[in-house]
Amino acid sequence: MTGAELLLKTLQQHGVDSLFGYPGGAIMPVYDALYDSPIKHFLCRHEQGAGFAAVGYSRASNKLGVCLATSGPGATNLITAIADAFSDSVPMLAITGQVAKKAMGSDAFQEVDILGLSLACTKYCHQVQCAREIPEAVTRAISIAYQGRHGPVLIDIPKDVQVQQLDCEQAEQLLSDSTLNPQTVAPSNPVISLPDQQKLQTLLEESRAPIFYVGGGVGMADAVAQLRELMAVVKIPSVTTLKGIGAIDPDTDYFLGMLGMHGSKPANLAVQESDLLIALGARFDDRVTGKLAEFAPNAKVIQLDIDNCEINKRRGVDLAIVADLKDSMPIFKQLLIGLRPRLQIESWQQRCQQWLSKFPWRYDHQGQGIYAPWVLSELSNMLSANAVTTTDVGQHQMWAAQHMRMHDPKNFLSSGGLGTMGFGLPAAIGAQVSRPEDLVIAVCGDGSLMMNIQELSTLKRYQIPVKIVLIDNARLGMVRQWQELFFQERYSETDLSDNPDFVALAMAFDIKAKRINTRQQVNAALTEMLAHQGPYLLQVHIDEMENVWPLVPPETANHGMLEAGNAK
Amino acid sequence: MTLHHLKITAFDHVMVVERLLQVTRYRGFRLCGLSMLPAQQDNLLDIQLSVESDRSVENLTKQLLKIIDIEQIKVEDQGLQTYPVSEVLN
Ligand SMILES: Cc1ncc(C[n+]2csc(CCOP(=O)(O)OP(=O)(O)O)c2C)c(N)n1
Repeated sequence: MTGAELLLKTLQQHGVDSLFGYPGGAIMPVYDALYDSPIKHFLCRHEQGAGFAAVGYSRASNKLGVCLATSGPGATNLITAIADAFSDSVPMLAITGQVAKKAMGSDAFQEVDILGLSLACTKYCHQVQCAREIPEAVTRAISIAYQGRHGPVLIDIPKDVQVQQLDCEQAEQLLSDSTLNPQTVAPSNPVISLPDQQKLQTLLEESRAPIFYVGGGVGMADAVAQLRELMAVVKIPSVTTLKGIGAIDPDTDYFLGMLGMHGSKPANLAVQESDLLIALGARFDDRVTGKLAEFAPNAKVIQLDIDNCEINKRRGVDLAIVADLKDSMPIFKQLLIGLRPRLQIESWQQRCQQWLSKFPWRYDHQGQGIYAPWVLSELSNMLSANAVTTTDVGQHQMWAAQHMRMHDPKNFLSSGGLGTMGFGLPAAIGAQVSRPEDLVIAVCGDGSLMMNIQELSTLKRYQIPVKIVLIDNARLGMVRQWQELFFQERYSETDLSDNPDFVALAMAFDIKAKRINTRQQVNAALTEMLAHQGPYLLQVHIDEMENVWPLVPPETANHGMLEAGNAK
Repeated sequence: MTLHHLKITAFDHVMVVERLLQVTRYRGFRLCGLSMLPAQQDNLLDIQLSVESDRSVENLTKQLLKIIDIEQIKVEDQGLQTYPVSEVLN
């Protein structure tokens, strides 16, 4: 057995049945082994696409996304996707080929120091030195990806190690050793201590305006059900971050939507007026807090997070609980059950309800043109609860976050921390492979789609039935909006009116496509797209001057948001 | 600016010192001194790190402890005002 074969056997042992990658010289032995392997390989058309597909695969399910690339340019092309996974705490395994050990350090053809390059965007990276090491190294890397706060890991394999021969008995032994090694079993994560439970109780009892501020950590910890049980005990008002979307069912009482720069008015007003902020797997990101010093100025803060480093990083806390959310939520719930009769939050609940009634989203747009928030809201109404939506980055992303209703964080995949354009299509490919039974929609921007447009080829090759909803404003819309508001309407390099004909482009990849321009066409077009069996691209033409509202300007407190009416 | 001395025990993994330095720089600390020796116990390293910053050293130590191969960190010197670095190190 070769090192390459042993690698694939190790992956299989960890339940990996799909890989996303691109071949090249230094990874050829692995591709040769793949030829006979039951693992299904998806050839993406750029390593960045393969990386994002692995991210989408992981994020849409509890399975591990794995991407594969050759040395040098193959490896560097993975970096953006790895950095994206790092920012959004996504478990992901990147495997790169490397030049043979004796050529390393000689500036060999396609040699790049990928360990050095990935240092700042992986939890762990390792180069194996001989084939024997492979099972343990891969097992260790995977266990690290899931340990504590999740994240990407990288294994670099020199070509000579891939071709190194091992006798089969030895290989089988190595494989069984690497599963048995207790060190590689996921470590147990801590829960809420007794003294912390007491403090938690006191803070809750004293509060008259508490609010749950729910982040991506809840979904990453697989603690959605536990959160909902907790929230069912007492109807404490709640908001989510972009990555927290889906953790709270949208129909939950006093759920106010997303907070932050493009958060809903009720969400931002409520957080600003709250007296107790209960942060669950959320990290006070600058897109969430606006001007930090004026964020929730009267609130005490309880923060539950698995990552100690997030405590007191941007906002001082009154109670820090470094714990696994899935295990600690039931304890929190028991505590709330005991406290329920003593909590006095009715007038706060009413106040939140008033905000909800007073500031609903409005879709009564003027003119015949298509209003993107309305299309996305209509689309969302037509989707079943288990459909997956991915987005690119920009205005369309914020509209999707605001106007689509998500029932699970695994159903809304958006590049939050890194904000990477080009995420939507390849992440949708990964999500669809991960969840073949569910409908997958990619809400894309015209600028972003062009960043990984080559992945239309991957849709075609495997007939992956992703539905692309292209919100086309022929602009780099989000940047254009900032130019309009903060750069005196100097539209520098944001005009994309020379975009390709997207319908013709999709058709060139044998993908059914349609363009719509008026609001009358919307419902029929969405119905047709959803009824279509294979991949589909729906190009939705919108007004290039449309803006995302509300918007909290830089260095402004969240209640100082600009809205359509007060922006100019 | 405050100078801090950290005594770190780490597994002797090829990447560990690189990661240590990367995190130190990225989190806003200036490297003032570094020494590294094999520890008494096999496979372990004793690392002495002196860093300077106006940020809290606790934030750095927490981040450093996330590095997989770092086992233990002791802050041996807390909160001294900075002297010119050369004087301190001599
Ligand atoms: C890779 C990358 N490059 C640049 C940016 C900066 N950026 C953020 S939004 C945006 C415009 C996105 O345009 P488009 O995809 O058409 O979406 P729209 O805002 O028009 O909906 C740009 C350039 C980014 N987020 N990612």
